Amino acid sequence: MPGAAERGSELSEQIEAFVSRLRGGGQRPRSEDTARQTLSLLRKIIAHGRWGWAGELMDLIRTEGRRMTAAQPSETTVGNMVRRVLKVIREEYGRLHGRSEESDQQDSLHKLLTSGGLSEDFSTPYPSLRANVIEAINELLIELEGTTDNIAMQALEHIHSNEVIMTIGYSRTVEAFLKEAARKRKFQVIVAECAPFCQGHEMAVRLSKENIETTVMSDAAIFAVMSRVNKVIIGTKTILANGALIAVSGTHTLALAAKHHSTPLIVCAPMFKLSPQFPNEEDSFHKFVSPQEVLPFTE
Amino acid sequence: MAARGSAKRGASAGAARGSEPQEEPPPPLQAVLVADSFNRCFFPISKDRPRALLPMANVAMIDYTLEFLTATGVEETFVFCCWKSAEIKEHLQKSKWCRHTSPNTVRFVTSDLYRSLGDVLRDVDAKSLVRSDFILVTGDVVSNLNISRALEEHKLRRKMEKNVSVMTMIFKESSPGHHARCKEDDIVIAMDSATNRVLHYQRTQGLKRFRFPMSLFQNSIENVEVRHDLLDCHISICSPQVAELFTDNFDYQTRDDFVRGLLVNEEILGNQIHMHVMTEEYGAHICNLLMYEAVCSDIIRRWVYPLTPEMNFTDDKNQNYTHSKHNIYRGVDVSLGHGSMLKENVLIGQGTVIGSNCSIMNSVIGQNCRIGDEVTLDGAFLWDGVHVADNVQIHHSVICDEAEVKEKVKLKPHCVLSSQVVVGPDITLSEGTVISLHPPDEEEEDDDQFSDDSGVNKEESKVKLKGYNKKDVGSEGRGYLWKADDKNEDDEEQRQSLWGPAMLSEEESESDSDLSMGSEEPDSRAASPQLDDIKVFQNEVLGTLQRGEEENISCDNLVLEINSLKYAYNISLNEMMQVLSKVILEFPLQQLDANLDSQNYFSALLPLLKNWTPLFKNYIKRSSDHLNALFAIEEFFLEHDSLCTSIAKVLMTFYQLEILEEDVILNWFSLRDTSDKGKQLRKNQRLQKFIQWLEEAEEESSDGDQD
Repeated sequence: MPGAAERGSELSEQIEAFVSRLRGGGQRPRSEDTARQTLSLLRKIIAHGRWGWAGELMDLIRTEGRRMTAAQPSETTVGNMVRRVLKVIREEYGRLHGRSEESDQQDSLHKLLTSGGLSEDFSTPYPSLRANVIEAINELLIELEGTTDNIAMQALEHIHSNEVIMTIGYSRTVEAFLKEAARKRKFQVIVAECAPFCQGHEMAVRLSKENIETTVMSDAAIFAVMSRVNKVIIGTKTILANGALIAVSGTHTLALAAKHHSTPLIVCAPMFKLSPQFPNEEDSFHKFVSPQEVLPFTE
Repeated sequence: MAARGSAKRGASAGAARGSEPQEEPPPPLQAVLVADSFNRCFFPISKDRPRALLPMANVAMIDYTLEFLTATGVEETFVFCCWKSAEIKEHLQKSKWCRHTSPNTVRFVTSDLYRSLGDVLRDVDAKSLVRSDFILVTGDVVSNLNISRALEEHKLRRKMEKNVSVMTMIFKESSPGHHARCKEDDIVIAMDSATNRVLHYQRTQGLKRFRFPMSLFQNSIENVEVRHDLLDCHISICSPQVAELFTDNFDYQTRDDFVRGLLVNEEILGNQIHMHVMTEEYGAHICNLLMYEAVCSDIIRRWVYPLTPEMNFTDDKNQNYTHSKHNIYRGVDVSLGHGSMLKENVLIGQGTVIGSNCSIMNSVIGQNCRIGDEVTLDGAFLWDGVHVADNVQIHHSVICDEAEVKEKVKLKPHCVLSSQVVVGPDITLSEGTVISLHPPDEEEEDDDQFSDDSGVNKEESKVKLKGYNKKDVGSEGRGYLWKADDKNEDDEEQRQSLWGPAMLSEEESESDSDLSMGSEEPDSRAASPQLDDIKVFQNEVLGTLQRGEEENISCDNLVLEINSLKYAYNISLNEMMQVLSKVILEFPLQQLDANLDSQNYFSALLPLLKNWTPLFKNYIKRSSDHLNALFAIEEFFLEHDSLCTSIAKVLMTFYQLEILEEDVILNWFSLRDTSDKGKQLRKNQRLQKFIQWLEEAEEESSDGDQD
């Protein structure tokens, strides 16, 4: 079938392009865009890839997923999405395979100990598996698109009038959150600029366009100003399994200052940032870029 | 890939026919990659491996270049290989760029007949490989530049001025003396800062003084900038005209020739060269080992982000590195002994075993190396499979594949150990030692420097004949010392070729001396032929006058002859005047020979002067000519002191024959800034009397006029 072969090569091209874009550095891409692209690519793999049963599909997704995460370890959303898709496949398989809900719930401690690993081998082919999985992924995509709005809808419950809110850097989720609250309430925002790239400046400009009273301050003044702040609202890059955050540098200072003053700290993050990993020794999630931006080449 | 390409072209053709009849879809961006440098830098390392495959941070150089091209959107690359082309082809076919998913199609063009960049471009033109603007690059360029902005500017320029701009060169801003600037490749450029046009291009060649033609500053361009803070990346955006121009001028061999030729012939051909300076991105070209060191350390210190080692952009399974603090990159399966320290800027390849108590910094270690205990590596570049025994110190050296360094060896800076060389125990190699398994005198028999060593048998028999010199490589060593003296070429050239001119401890001579005879060329050789020219001219004039006297040729003919001589030797009027006076005054001296007496001299000179009065009158027309003649006369008499007494008579004769006027003579006499000898001359009694007489005569004549 020439059509399949062509589609196959087109698919691998797209994967290559995606991987090289991930590697490419340059501007910090939006996590939401990365997540959406990952999901679409995975959906294409499922649709056009050559696999017979669930086990094969999961191996295929695992290989491609490993390649994509290796390209840019600091982009954890890619890995998160791959894991979600794997979970979706397992669920769909389980549903088709006929495992009822009840037997699942009967997993007592004893059963968990003695069962000894996964009894499922995912080897039975089901023709409708493909369509089901793709449908589930489409649902995921719809959920993705609505996350920021869902978070913003809860803004009014958390922000009251005449409050002083502190944030750091530029987060689109927090921006939407604050803009939504500003429609009904009047409050002030203090933004820590987050040197040396000073993304806080961009955040302040956008907020002030919505007529929110914004102040920009340097990172060194975080502790000094904290006593006047009512709430701290931040965005993050990743949320790890033990509740730890991987966020922009300066967030740790902010959190420690808030803890000292007993100021409540709210983190706004969509669901694709939740990661099952634990923090480990290697700082492989840091992105080390060229020194050009802080030290000119003419040294 | 091919299907997609043709589909795109089909769709675009349809679109052209349909809605946009005027705009053509942009043709795919093409690049010409010259995988050979056509010079012998990196010899003897490049005898075993082609230059383009030398590893920089364990990745071949050509991979960096191709990654740069692919990332910047090139869709078709032509790789031209000459030396060891089979190896380059094999390497690239295994790499990710020849997979069918690669957005960049790589095509190989191989020929043994290429001898220079010019040949390659002539081939490009002959085969009509490029359809529109293309990127010209050599195989050893490392860069993370995004060329689209420069490309747009180039296309806009060509559109606005109808193909006048032929090439855009890309430079990187970096301060003079920066470690990434190659001394061989250093340039000084004069540019028009408004349009970024290149006006003057010159290699510095280590000189401390430069000459710029005045025409550079005198034309109508307002903002001329002379810049020395540019690093030549050897990346150029060329139009298809470049290939045609190389075909037309078949003596253009390198890009330098082309640039200089174009700038010189600008008025005739109307072609211009522009430039683009990148400030933030990185770009460098590796022409010798010093640059190799510099660019390697830049890659490790992440100046070429995103082409950093742990990105593994070649998709090679063996090249997975993890990056930690202080720029330490560790490959898979690396084992580090107890007490060993990786201090900073270290890259260790896969499967390497490092012993205990080692200290490693600023180094690159390849795959599957074995390093013993108590080893110090500082600025060392070890390629794959190197064995280093215990207690070794290596400073700023390159050790190629499979070489072995035995115990207690110390390598001083700038050593090179070529492939499979063994350096024996307990020896210190002095600075700049190059050891290779290829014996150096093999070179003399190698007529064709670009031929592959296909005659392996020849090599083996040679090795059997010659033993290894124990002093050079130690008791268990294997290898020959590659000395500069064995080469037929200059010592300087060989020493320069491996490590660059910075290695030379003695200063380059001040070749740009003060012999300024009005020459505008930066080439200092121009000064000496000029002197010779004048001497030859003088002899010729002498010959002419001698013949004139013997054969009684009329003065008109003599004037004709002297004029033609003047044009032949390109002598200016001033010089000619001086030479003429000198020759005429010296003429009697040849006839008199022994008795240099003033009286005799003057009596011999007088008839000559009378005969050749028309000659003088022809050439002495303006007052400056008079002065020149007087200076010449003064010089002559200063040289010949014994004839001083007759200077007054000579001047008198000149005056009476109306060759020189009294105003000028008086002017000359009263000149203040003459040398001491000149002043003494003027104190000559007779001369003073003559001057007095002149002055009186003038007064009389002026009185006469008034009456």
